[in-house]
Amino acid sequence: MKVIEIENLNKIYKESEIEVHAVNGVTLDFEEGEFAAIVGPSGSGKTTLLNMIGGLDDPTSGEVIVGGSSMSKLKGAELTDFRLHNIGFVFQSYNLIPVLTAKENTEFVMRLQGLSAKVCETRSEELLNIVGLGERMNARPNKLSGGQQQRVAVARALASKPKFVLADEPTANLDSKSTETLLEIMEKLNREENITFIFSTHDARVVKKARRVITLEDGKILSDVTKNGGE
Amino acid sequence: MITSISWKNVWRNKSRSMIVIGAVTLGTLSGVFVAGMMKGWVDQRIHSAIHTEVSHIKMQHPEYLNNEEIKYTIPNYSEIENYLNNSENVKAWTKHTKIMAMAATSRGNTGVMLKGINPDEEKRVSDLYTNIVKGGGNYFESEFKNPIVISEKTADQLRLINYQITDNLIDTLKLLKVKDHTIESLASIKDKRFITEKKFKSALEEILHKNEIRVHGPVIMQMAKHYKVKSKIVFTFSGSNGEMSYQSFRVVGVYKTANTMFDQMNAFVIADDLAKVAGFEPNKYHEINMIINEESVDIKDFSQTLAEKFSETNVMTWKELAPDAGMMADFMQVYYYIIMGVIFFALAFGIINTMLMAILERIKELGMLMAIGMNKKRVFNMIMLETVFLTLTGSVVGMILGAITIGITGRVGLNFSSVQEGFEAFGWSALVYPSIELSFFFGVTLMVIAIGILASIIPARKALKLNPVEAIRME
Ligand SMILES: Nc1ncnc2c1ncn2[C@@H]1O[C@H](COP(=O)(O)OP(=O)(O)OP(=O)(O)O)[C@@H](O)[C@H]1O
Ligand SMILES: [Mg+2]
Repeated sequence: MKVIEIENLNKIYKESEIEVHAVNGVTLDFEEGEFAAIVGPSGSGKTTLLNMIGGLDDPTSGEVIVGGSSMSKLKGAELTDFRLHNIGFVFQSYNLIPVLTAKENTEFVMRLQGLSAKVCETRSEELLNIVGLGERMNARPNKLSGGQQQRVAVARALASKPKFVLADEPTANLDSKSTETLLEIMEKLNREENITFIFSTHDARVVKKARRVITLEDGKILSDVTKNGGE
Repeated sequence: MITSISWKNVWRNKSRSMIVIGAVTLGTLSGVFVAGMMKGWVDQRIHSAIHTEVSHIKMQHPEYLNNEEIKYTIPNYSEIENYLNNSENVKAWTKHTKIMAMAATSRGNTGVMLKGINPDEEKRVSDLYTNIVKGGGNYFESEFKNPIVISEKTADQLRLINYQITDNLIDTLKLLKVKDHTIESLASIKDKRFITEKKFKSALEEILHKNEIRVHGPVIMQMAKHYKVKSKIVFTFSGSNGEMSYQSFRVVGVYKTANTMFDQMNAFVIADDLAKVAGFEPNKYHEINMIINEESVDIKDFSQTLAEKFSETNVMTWKELAPDAGMMADFMQVYYYIIMGVIFFALAFGIINTMLMAILERIKELGMLMAIGMNKKRVFNMIMLETVFLTLTGSVVGMILGAITIGITGRVGLNFSSVQEGFEAFGWSALVYPSIELSFFFGVTLMVIAIGILASIIPARKALKLNPVEAIRME
């Protein structure tokens, strides 16, 4: 089943006289359960593409269809609500609310969704156990390492039961050990819970883990390779 | 959840929040205290307006208002007397005869209103008898013919106050361990009589150093003061027959209220004495003063009842008789809120500024929150609540401190006697007992919440203008 359909997507930034074609005629599909990496040199348009898929940025032209409905029709509060219920986000940094504990951060999106305190609590504990932070549930972000913070972010992204998770360079600020742990967790969630992950990266070791690798250059798809059986 | 985030956000930058909270605390404390002081003043003024000066309700001949002629006595007095004696709404009442007179002694003269009273009856309506000054005799207890109680002000104008350094005073100063030099200087003018305060002061200035006067002046002035009780005052007035009459009265008491204007006007004599010398007929009185049972009836309602029943008389409430106090009673609430409003308006700028800084620091975080699905309404609520909490914390602390301060000062009183003269000229006591009503705190709390909400609008709008993508991308 297709979760995301992208049709001839374009994003043009205009700065004074110069036009930057950040995303240039991209057409792509993602199936449920994919574990896909978007790679490419700096400035190739990875972040721009992910932002448009996540409904954070408007395309100049083209369409992003998530679960059969076009996002370009949504505006303002509707779009925010759509993100809340359909998409999980992991950013490079500043993922967490500093005044809340790991558990409260994980519960936060569920509370926004209007779930009961009880449900939120059980699910967030479950998720934090999965990402290996069962012991650190009541720690605030500043008491957690960068890698642990990103794991909380993954738990938070999954808490809302999204259709897919977008992660823009989730390991960019992590050492190799933490990178490995985070990737293992994401892989496991993908394998066991069939969670769809789409992430961008610069890191060759991360790319190796991906089952599908989409390479961008100057906003265009240079290659789109799906390996058989992962690795 | 959002409420708890807002509360926690207040404490993220502790020192910055504490500065704002401290400012709000101080602002609230001073506002509450000033309001408490005003209320203390107003309450006291109202109390003395009612219980010393004019009573709750006064009845008189309608013409007497325009023209204080002695012929305008209360019509149908006996009926009124009967009614008041039998009304459960009346706690106490008394009647006066009144006559304008010129008072003179060998040294001075002044005009006063002589009020003929019955002391026992009067005591139940007016607490003036508690205002006899120290060393100023008593309230109609001495057995003299034609006794009179005058104010200190009148005594001063009639030169019935002497200033004298006595042995007694010197002994007291020795007990107080005043320096020998000061006592020796004072001894040089011992037993010498000064007939005005001014002359005595200038004599002191000659023999004492400035510092000595500053330190001991008030005590010396107070102790050197001697009222010439038992002195005779001669009054001139035109009696009921229209002819000029003279009559002397003997001073038995000197009183002093907080209201200099009242003091200047009023002197009290026994009604029977006055009736004799002025030729008043029995059961002819110029005014009736009464104290109402406030629990059983509203003063205004009862005055209307009286006015309807005795339509030939004029009936006035204390609010009309002492309009300054009446107006204060009606508008003081408004004044308190104006004071608080001005203070909070000024504080609002600091609050807005602090919240703007807080928002600028959290641009990435706010961008992230919007990205993951927190809508604008919730973002707005979060910032608004944070602002309200910030403001409310300070003001709650301020109100508690204010209540404590008022509680303490309300018991011991605040002395403004250094600026006394200015206040007392208008009937405002120099000793103030601050007080406050509980409802004021509710009002202030509501006000603070409103100010917090208003102050959050600018910072919140700033946050809502953020574009999540740009906010997150910004390095
Ligand atoms: N807000 C913007 N205004 C103008 N140009 C922009 C804006 N955002 C991105 N660009 C440009 O669009 C192009 C793609 O940028 P993008 O951030 O998507 O690249 P990226 O692949 O994510 O790079 P990196 O690996 O450095 O994160 C770049 O040339 C960038 O300068
Ligand atoms: Mg990028």
